[in-house]
Amino acid sequence: MNNQRRVLIVDGSEESREVLQTALSRRGLSTYAAGAADQGAALARQHQPDLVVLDLDIDDSAVDALSKPLAGDDGDPVPIVLLGGVRRNLARFPGGEFVPKPYHYGPLIRRIEELLEDRRRAVAVCHSRERSGSPVRTG
Amino acid sequence: MPSLFVIRGNDQGVRFELDESPVRVGRDASSAVQLHDTEVSRQHAEIRRHEHAFTIADLGSSNGTFVNGRRIERHSLQSGDQVQVGSTLMLFTGPSGETDDDLEGSVVLDRPDDASQIVHSVTQEEGSRIFDEQEDLPQHSWLARARSNLQVMYRTALAVSHTLDIDQLLARIMELIFEWVEADRGCIMLVDPEEKKLVPKVRRTREGVRTDEKITISKTILDYVTQRNEGVLTSDARQDDRFSPAASILQMGVREAICVPMQGRYDMVGVIYIDTSTSPQEMVRYGGSTKFSQDHLKLMVAIAHQAALAVEDTRYYSAMVQAERLAAMGQTIATLSHHIKNILQGIRGGSYLIELGLSEHDDEVVGKGWRIVEKNQNKISQLVLDMLTFSKEREPDLAVADLNQVVSDVIELMRSRAEEMDVELHWHPVADMPRLVFDPEGLHRAVLNVVTNAIDAASETESGQPGRVEVRIGLTPQQDHVRIAVQDNGPGIPQEQMGKLFSPFISSKKGRGTGLGLPVSQKILAEHGGRIHVDSKPGRGARFILEIPAVRPDPSVQTTEHMGEGTSSGTHS
Repeated sequence: MNNQRRVLIVDGSEESREVLQTALSRRGLSTYAAGAADQGAALARQHQPDLVVLDLDIDDSAVDALSKPLAGDDGDPVPIVLLGGVRRNLARFPGGEFVPKPYHYGPLIRRIEELLEDRRRAVAVCHSRERSGSPVRTG
Repeated sequence: MPSLFVIRGNDQGVRFELDESPVRVGRDASSAVQLHDTEVSRQHAEIRRHEHAFTIADLGSSNGTFVNGRRIERHSLQSGDQVQVGSTLMLFTGPSGETDDDLEGSVVLDRPDDASQIVHSVTQEEGSRIFDEQEDLPQHSWLARARSNLQVMYRTALAVSHTLDIDQLLARIMELIFEWVEADRGCIMLVDPEEKKLVPKVRRTREGVRTDEKITISKTILDYVTQRNEGVLTSDARQDDRFSPAASILQMGVREAICVPMQGRYDMVGVIYIDTSTSPQEMVRYGGSTKFSQDHLKLMVAIAHQAALAVEDTRYYSAMVQAERLAAMGQTIATLSHHIKNILQGIRGGSYLIELGLSEHDDEVVGKGWRIVEKNQNKISQLVLDMLTFSKEREPDLAVADLNQVVSDVIELMRSRAEEMDVELHWHPVADMPRLVFDPEGLHRAVLNVVTNAIDAASETESGQPGRVEVRIGLTPQQDHVRIAVQDNGPGIPQEQMGKLFSPFISSKKGRGTGLGLPVSQKILAEHGGRIHVDSKPGRGARFILEIPAVRPDPSVQTTEHMGEGTSSGTHS
């Protein structure tokens, strides 16, 4: 059974992918990385990540390719950390957390861990309600 | 495309294209024309298009909407109108009427069956003599005066048509006025755009008139001219009623003055003032006639109008140039800072990994981080070198060297990058390349930039086939030029980008490029008397050919022999 949290990184810069993958995997997370939007969307469908780090500077088609699969079909959107130089396309990812560039990796990685922890708790509450028979929509 | 161009205000240099209707003007972020001006209301005005006509309407703004200086509720816009909201001044440009294509079809050159013959011809110089006074006309006839007036207007038009310096223009107008009318003193005052006060710009006195004397202009007359926007002719001959006019004149002489507003297209930009004194002796000698007439006044109004139009045009032109310059500078800084920010991000990533590796005693992670730091350090030195090459006037540092070797060095340097990006890099040196005179370091840089672009392009093949870059070198058949051809199989260059390929700071690499690579390569080639040809079809890759004259070393002159090594990296100084 795989209990590891899954993080998807979509970033045009190979260096950023490498740094994030190295740092996150050392903290016990499984990482998937894509340099282009379509590739990222495919990985998102395949691996159902618990969190996505998306660089907004990759081409605009990324927004279209990624906003749908990440919206969370089960009504439970995946947390997204948006890295960007300018605040554009933010509206397409409601609930996404914007981190302006240039950012520091330390705080970014701490924030990613916090978001994952919040989500783990939320899912746990959800599951306990299900068990106790509370009216929760199942999907 | 119809547009509003901001020529004054916080958004100076921004062009808003009016491609939809209606277009909202306001401070609100939802406005298509969003102005960063606290005097502008959130929803200030609206522009609607009806076929080719544009109408602007105020949306009940607090500070109002002005077109050409007049407050309006609703106004039909003409090309060239100035729209002011708050402290932002914008220029409206309407849709162009006929396109060039239409014009080309409607004007046909060279019809061989046309039987027209030249009946008269007039040279360019004769154009300015058509109003010359002819001797057979009596001096004071109506026709002679009309001719002379036309001549003055013609010369005014010429004077204002070719200058972009306002002071020079005003001096020329004043000179013209003095040639034409017997004035003693004259001055032109312009309204200071900021302080709204009249400021003297040009002063002139006729020869023989005392120049240290101040020109005093009656405040009443000046107010009359500026407020009513009318030209006036004044005379002090009858100012004192206690004496009979004739007696007064004989005692004091007469002072006459003309003061006219400089009314331009949008505003009154200033006034022109001239005056003259006639002494009692002159009055007696010339029989009491005055020097300034109604005709002079009318003509002065016309001259002042011409001058005002020229002043407005000149100011307007400098505002445009300034606005464009600001826009270009903004673009440059934006491109550069984006690039530097990416490098900084890379360095932060690398150092983070080094820190991580050190704290966990993991040499592999330290190494990973170090490579990233090194790569970015290299990137920043490339950027600085490109900026230096581009900014300074420099002479190529000529030496005798082997161009084959220079290109080989570039290929070696780029091989790992090509591999990283899954691009095959093929190099075809020639065996019998003669040693030539050129700047090895410059050429290294020029070739490097073009090969880097080719690898980037080849990594984005549309067909999904493997990326491939071919680099060839060779002498032209006449043996007088060397050509280095760099061919990629990338997506090619869209037609509309071809014209901007060598413009600095315009990069199509989505933030990965500085926009300096090709301009720098072109500059280096130009320094060698060479050039770059580009040949590309969208979807079928691009080919760049760098061509320089093949200068063979002069055996009688001892030239520095350049060794192949040392040019291999752009990072050394």
